[in-house]
Amino acid sequence: MDETVAEYIRRTVLKIPRDEIKMMLQKWGFLSEAQLQTLNFHQIKDNISQEVVQLCEENSADIKQAAVLDIIYNHIYQNKRMWSVYQMKKSGEELEYFDITDFKKKFKRRLRSALKNVTITFKEYEDNAIWIRVAWGTPHKKPNQYKPSYVVYHSQTPYVFISSSVLKSTLPLLCQALIVASNYHDIRDMELRSHSLNSLKDIVFKRYSQNFQTCPPKPLQGGNVEPENADIRIVEENRSEKERIHRLNQEVFGSGPQPKLEFAQYRLETMFKSDPKMDVLDKKEPFRCLVKFSSPHLLESLKFLAPAGMADAPLSPLLTCIPHKARNYFKIREKKGLYPESFVSP
Amino acid sequence: EKADPQKTAFLLRKAWTLYSVTPLYGFRRARLRDYARLLGAFIAAEKQKGLAVEVGVELDIKVALSSLADIRGSELDQAALLVQLSSRSRGSSRNSEDKPVWWGWFCSVFGDELSENVPEHFTCLPLFLSHGAESYTALVGSWFQKTFDCCFRRLAISPLNLSWMAAMWAGCKLDRAASAVELVFSVPRLAQPLDISYAIHPEDAKALWDTVQKTPGEITQEEVDVFMDCLYAHFHRHFKIHLSAAKLVKVSTAIASAHCDGIVKILHSQYLPGVLKLLTELAISQIQ
Repeated sequence: MDETVAEYIRRTVLKIPRDEIKMMLQKWGFLSEAQLQTLNFHQIKDNISQEVVQLCEENSADIKQAAVLDIIYNHIYQNKRMWSVYQMKKSGEELEYFDITDFKKKFKRRLRSALKNVTITFKEYEDNAIWIRVAWGTPHKKPNQYKPSYVVYHSQTPYVFISSSVLKSTLPLLCQALIVASNYHDIRDMELRSHSLNSLKDIVFKRYSQNFQTCPPKPLQGGNVEPENADIRIVEENRSEKERIHRLNQEVFGSGPQPKLEFAQYRLETMFKSDPKMDVLDKKEPFRCLVKFSSPHLLESLKFLAPAGMADAPLSPLLTCIPHKARNYFKIREKKGLYPESFVSP
Repeated sequence: EKADPQKTAFLLRKAWTLYSVTPLYGFRRARLRDYARLLGAFIAAEKQKGLAVEVGVELDIKVALSSLADIRGSELDQAALLVQLSSRSRGSSRNSEDKPVWWGWFCSVFGDELSENVPEHFTCLPLFLSHGAESYTALVGSWFQKTFDCCFRRLAISPLNLSWMAAMWAGCKLDRAASAVELVFSVPRLAQPLDISYAIHPEDAKALWDTVQKTPGEITQEEVDVFMDCLYAHFHRHFKIHLSAAKLVKVSTAIASAHCDGIVKILHSQYLPGVLKLLTELAISQIQ
């Protein structure tokens, strides 16, 4: 077995948490059940991975099999990577029958014609997802197995999810190969990124809870408990405001869980407007800003801004449009014409 | 007062943790060599006691104390005092170069308010900045506290003071391609924490400040409030969020950056005295 392959397998196994190694090797299916029985999973990981490498040596593993193990690891730990969403476009309206063998053949052929040294691996999963792993080399160097790109393509849709290699030049090649293989004619960056692959799928496949739920408004849950107040009028007003905010939130966000995004970025190129009395900046050029919202779960945190008193309800459409516009990178310019207060996002 | 750029180059682009220090009793400039020796012995003794700071390789810590004559504001200020810890790998004869591992310096820039009223035998250097392992800071700090009967306290920077810094630094003249004026807010007490970074193009931030500031060279609280309110209003117009209700935790500009936990980074030697003057003021308010 090639030394580099042995080292690669060793390092891949080391990444896996100890109690999951057996499961992943079983999923891999390269080692027989009998061989797996010989492994001692109660020793330190260093030793476990050495033993795995020895067994792979017995079976003469090559890089192709090692790459499959890597896909399995990344499929389970998909949230460790940053995923970007791309949408492919067809020129005509014909619905073509998707042939996976044809796809793989065309994909490999297109990449290999551009770059001789690449390792290309496919694995299909139940939900019609095709996982593709590409390790990139140069005309003179073997592929770097430690900086591969991963693509997840749902063949019944025009969407691909790419976790790009840090080798930036490889992205155009990857996109080219994808459209050629899938019989599309163009591909665009949707400016939608997150670590949560499932949430990205939820957004583009519209699987999250959307606006205008028809369920009746729920009674107020959790949150602040109103202090007992002798003046009943004050309590009433506050309560109706809270209910209004709650209702608006429901309309915008729905009552189900939100897709998990970690950030939203807005490049603002709008005018600075101020009260003329303040006698401040009055420029004819845009007031250039870059605003970035970050959170472990952005949409959930935005949902609670208005009830917390930090934001007006309804929340700005710039924020609430994120799931249905399916993007979290925006460029905002001033909309000219009748409604100078509204914004356009190209 | 311009400090010699070469001597002070090491101060730039490092993240300094800030402390306020009460006046030192019985400190004498002439005894710097002695102090270095005593501090070195103290550190070695503490390490022997098992309070080792470095795991693995045995390291000898060498201590150097020096004065930074250029870092002061007025004649009433004491010159800054630098403490530098370097490590020399024991038993490595080939490469016996000292590697700096920790810096700490005391200074006072226009700290007249404190120096004017201090009794004899006390030396006022209210601002302390450290860079390097926290364990070294603790060792050096405790030696100074024991030896000069002074008290170190972490210096936090309030959102109010951070907005001062934002306004001041946004208004500074920019010569090269400057970085954005970035304000970082944290929204506390939400189910999911939210951070908001609001970065304004430096030219536009300066243009705004220039229309707010009425007297060049002077800044009033009112002007800072107007500047911040303008930024909050612009933000609210787009996002309907009241940034003023969030906690300003960090300000970052081409001049310097400051974090509410009391960590600053100074990027421009030209503005070093100005930044130190502001930090000296903060340190003095914490002491008094």
